[in-house]
Amino acid sequence: MLEAARSRLKAGIVAGIGTAAAIAVAGVLGAFGARHEPMPVLAQTSRIETGQWLLQPLKAYVTDGKHAYGAPLKPGGKALVLEVEMTNRTAKSSKDYFEILRASQTAVDAATKPFIVLMRDSTLSPELHPGMPERMAYIWEMQPGVVSPTSFDLMVIGKTYKQRDNLYGLPGWFNPTPIGTLTLAVGAGPDKAQVQP
Amino acid sequence: MTARSLDWESGQGERKWRRRSLWALLLLVPLALAGQAYDSVKTLLGGEDLFPRQVAWGQSAHFGGSDWKLTDLRGAFGMSSLPPDSVPVLADFSVKVGDPDLQKLWLGCKVMLIDAEGRRWSPTSAVSLKAPGDVHTCVSAIFSGARRGDTLNLRETFLVPRQATKTIRPAVGLASERPHFLFFQLEKD
Amino acid sequence: MMRKMANVILLLLATALCYGLQVSKPHYAELIGPIPAYGKLGDAVVGRGFEARAAKVAFSRNLKVDRYGQTKVFTTGGIWAVVTVEFAASAQSTTVAVASWRGPTGLAYDQTERLSFADGLLPVAIDPGLPKKARLIFEVRPDEVSNATLLISEKLMSALDSQAEISLGPVAAGADGLPAETVDTLDLTQPI
Repeated sequence: MLEAARSRLKAGIVAGIGTAAAIAVAGVLGAFGARHEPMPVLAQTSRIETGQWLLQPLKAYVTDGKHAYGAPLKPGGKALVLEVEMTNRTAKSSKDYFEILRASQTAVDAATKPFIVLMRDSTLSPELHPGMPERMAYIWEMQPGVVSPTSFDLMVIGKTYKQRDNLYGLPGWFNPTPIGTLTLAVGAGPDKAQVQP
Repeated sequence: MTARSLDWESGQGERKWRRRSLWALLLLVPLALAGQAYDSVKTLLGGEDLFPRQVAWGQSAHFGGSDWKLTDLRGAFGMSSLPPDSVPVLADFSVKVGDPDLQKLWLGCKVMLIDAEGRRWSPTSAVSLKAPGDVHTCVSAIFSGARRGDTLNLRETFLVPRQATKTIRPAVGLASERPHFLFFQLEKD
Repeated sequence: MMRKMANVILLLLATALCYGLQVSKPHYAELIGPIPAYGKLGDAVVGRGFEARAAKVAFSRNLKVDRYGQTKVFTTGGIWAVVTVEFAASAQSTTVAVASWRGPTGLAYDQTERLSFADGLLPVAIDPGLPKKARLIFEVRPDEVSNATLLISEKLMSALDSQAEISLGPVAAGADGLPAETVDTLDLTQPI
């Protein structure tokens, strides 16, 4: 009788220690996971790799409708323009570049999607082809009556390649994750000099 | 009865049932496959115009809740700027609307021409001939707001090689009636 | 002892077999991929719903195109490749909409989207018995020009449907790295 009670107690203690250890390990791992790495600050003169794209920022400026590469701005509206050289690093023509740059700027409404224009002939968001650098203009319409900013803060977002996705088993680029922040000086107009690499 | 003989009897019964179950599988497995595939097969057949329903010249046929009648099929010869040896063909229908829920019943409406070899032509956008105001195409008729008892005039334009014009017949398919479709006979038949 | 050894060997064999199965299994993307119909430049390549014959390939630095009544010259970062293809529908009217240029290293260049306003490009509607010519226009890197393959299909997701794969053969390169017969400007305002 006494023997049985003792063994039951032993089993209980072992189980308790095991549970406590598991909780402790999980907690520590969770704490590591939740620790925020400070977002890397990307140099504007370097080439930025987002997985699919190689970005080379050229210049940023505020413009009115006349110099916005034919983007359909509201009458009298102003826009914040970022000119960037983009190279498709993948093996296929792609236009998966709508989410790679996010304006973190008070002059631009967070919900505003930029117009993305090929500078060569003002085509609105064409596919870019593998290994062929093209100059593109990202054009964010500014909120009416906002003072033009002197610097432009951007979040750069990258994706990772998966040979097979979980739903269809097909290859693709997934899981958009911020890879760094970028700050550019804002010029007065499109004539502003380029960032020299 | 001894325990031993009971054992033997139950073993015998088990064996019998096992054999029956195995034989039943022969029937059950195909049945299960058929049951599983039923919806897929139905969807597959529902997307194609497979079985023609012949309509004699001058007759109307009830199809997709309305009465369809072929009124005319003719070639528009002598047009310029078309590929050589091609003829625009106009097919005219008069449809008496029965069930006015055209947006549901006429969904996926497809008018086509079928020749003796079974080749099928869809309406073309290469030719646009002027039509009187109250003439619809099958798709535009869906949104015409026609009521029960109205008669709709439909016209579709096709581009067909000259040698095929001798044997072409018009046909109409609707998603609500597939895999069946209407196949119209001409006057000369 | 012997029995234990035999068990271990059996386990290893089973592992090897499972690994072999896993490695040799075709991927889902391959199983539901397009069904190729092979051919060469000048061949009539017959697919399920359409037939395609690539007649000729031309290269140029610039393209002259009519854009809403105005003639414009289009430049490119690489080189323009213009393929003239004759299409025919087999049993029923259909639309051929998708083409891409696969270079010798496997890079896939879709048709350019910069000339979508121009006539005579894909998508092209084809009817049985009425063959039709169309131009396929690509922007490619000069080093992806030789021994390229032209891929043509009716729809973008041509799963389990025909895709014409036309090998375009070697292209001699000139001194500047561009194909030898590259012209300065190709006039697309001319009829095909």
